[in-house]
Amino acid sequence: MNPVVGVMALVVVSLATAAIGFYGLRISRTTGDFYVASRTVRPWWNASAIGGEYLSAASFLGVAGLILLSGTDALWFPVGYTAGYLMLLLFVAAPLRRSGAYTIPDFTEARLDSRAVRRVTSVVVVVVGWLYIVPQLHGAALTIRITTGLPAWVGSVAVVVVVCLTVVAGGMRSITFVQAFQFWLKLTAIAVPVLFIVFTLAGDGESAVAPAVVNPTGLAPAGPYQNISLLVALLFGTLGLPHVLVRFYTNPDGHSARRTTLIVLGLLSVFYLFPTAYGLVGRMFAPELARSGQPDAVVLLLPGQLIGGTAGDLLSALVVAGAFAAFLSTTSGLVVSLAGVISQDVLGGGVRGFRLAAVVSAVVPLGIALMTDSMALAGSVGLVFAFTASTVCPVLLLGIWWRGLTDAGAIAGMVTGGVLCGGAMVWGNILGAAGTPFWLAQPAAWTVPAAFAVTVLVSRATKHRIPRTTARVMTRLHTPERPLATER
Amino acid sequence: MTRVRVTAPRSVPRPAGESREAAEESDVGQVFVRSLIRSQLRLALVVAIVFLLILSAFPLLAAVPGLADTRVAGVPLDWILLGAGIYPVIGLSAWLFIRAAARNESRYRDLAGDK
Repeated sequence: MNPVVGVMALVVVSLATAAIGFYGLRISRTTGDFYVASRTVRPWWNASAIGGEYLSAASFLGVAGLILLSGTDALWFPVGYTAGYLMLLLFVAAPLRRSGAYTIPDFTEARLDSRAVRRVTSVVVVVVGWLYIVPQLHGAALTIRITTGLPAWVGSVAVVVVVCLTVVAGGMRSITFVQAFQFWLKLTAIAVPVLFIVFTLAGDGESAVAPAVVNPTGLAPAGPYQNISLLVALLFGTLGLPHVLVRFYTNPDGHSARRTTLIVLGLLSVFYLFPTAYGLVGRMFAPELARSGQPDAVVLLLPGQLIGGTAGDLLSALVVAGAFAAFLSTTSGLVVSLAGVISQDVLGGGVRGFRLAAVVSAVVPLGIALMTDSMALAGSVGLVFAFTASTVCPVLLLGIWWRGLTDAGAIAGMVTGGVLCGGAMVWGNILGAAGTPFWLAQPAAWTVPAAFAVTVLVSRATKHRIPRTTARVMTRLHTPERPLATER
Repeated sequence: MTRVRVTAPRSVPRPAGESREAAEESDVGQVFVRSLIRSQLRLALVVAIVFLLILSAFPLLAAVPGLADTRVAGVPLDWILLGAGIYPVIGLSAWLFIRAAARNESRYRDLAGDK
């Protein structure tokens, strides 16, 4: 691929992101603006922004790569990412918006009336955020290496610099515009090339393919345990992602939080058709990409390989731009929510504290990313979902729906889930991809039930600790706002 | 387009309405709140379970002999089912849930006397 194309695409996306970020600077002035855009963002804007934030390197590059590698088994990834949002809508969206809290630690503290729970939740949220940023930076490193030939670290550093500049400058308000813009950029960047490829190939009459070509790697299909465990991780992990949750606070009320989620589901459903199509086209026409050990690059390489010439270069530029939009938007969403948590808990709030915390939350994962090698992107993001599902999710679900939850139960559950799932991830890393048994490679199926069980049992054993505020908080979470507060 | 400078949250903090306060304080109010929470939880669980049942039917469908060899416009049918067919199910579940949840809430409003 022409290296100039990759560099150009990177520069244009970064400039556009920064420009929208600075435009946002002029309208965000108070601390409230910085944290949650004053909760006045309209559902369509907000839904585009949520979509923009959610569709990460794993969705943009990783899903197609895994489909290329393992076929229909990998189709569970996009399905799980979308169905996770359905679970979010069913169990979390409206109550969380009505809680009136800014961050997940705010929520757990308000619900359980306990500073200790707040501190443990903060630690968990920061770990989740950092774990999630690392694969984004790996994706950026891969993209830069493949498309420009520059050293891989340039990609990670570029993403962190652009994210720090936009977040420090504008906070959440401008981030909403940036994210919304990046959703539509990502959708265009993944849809146009693959449609172009499909129509070109169909025009050449190549669409009839022998069945054998649809499985280029000959990998054995995953067993039902892996698929179920993956679905558990994705369905319950989405509930607890810090950058997803903070978005719900930007809705004016609980009902609009639900409407926003419905729109997000529509946007995600449309988006995920295209990585799936990419993976299938890759399996049929470029199976050698799977064997060369770079399946995550299939989205980047396919247009150049199958179209070629100027059209191929233009399509490649579009794809690279979309990929960088994915790294930038997810990373900045995570940095905003982490900065919110860190600045409130460690630096005492305020706009200056938020800016300092933003830099800290971006630089630490950069260090981790530079020291580690990238795994399959969709796979490593899947593990982060498993970790979230085993730590934040039980506390959130039980906190919203069960009056019997106590601070001791919440802490015990988060620690159990974190230790089990974190242990499985570390142990799996030590053993390496080939030596890891299947139940360790996909831990969610046992760590999530364990975390739920411990939370419930410890809460039962410490009934006297049920906070006296429970009835009031539960009322607030579930009763509709007065019609006055509904602005439309 | 005029730009409005927003200097403070407009809708929050919400002044707790009288009916909200009443709901928090009185025993009768708590009965209504508990029944609202129960019906919302039941609704969410029903939608989730039905959706998961449908979802688990998809791999079984793909195991129907001959299906993997059936092709629509060159694409194997099991790919179309799992790669595109599930999304309308997700959207429909979400839409039905939102309508039913809003209905539960307006019923609560009527009971609690919130106008």
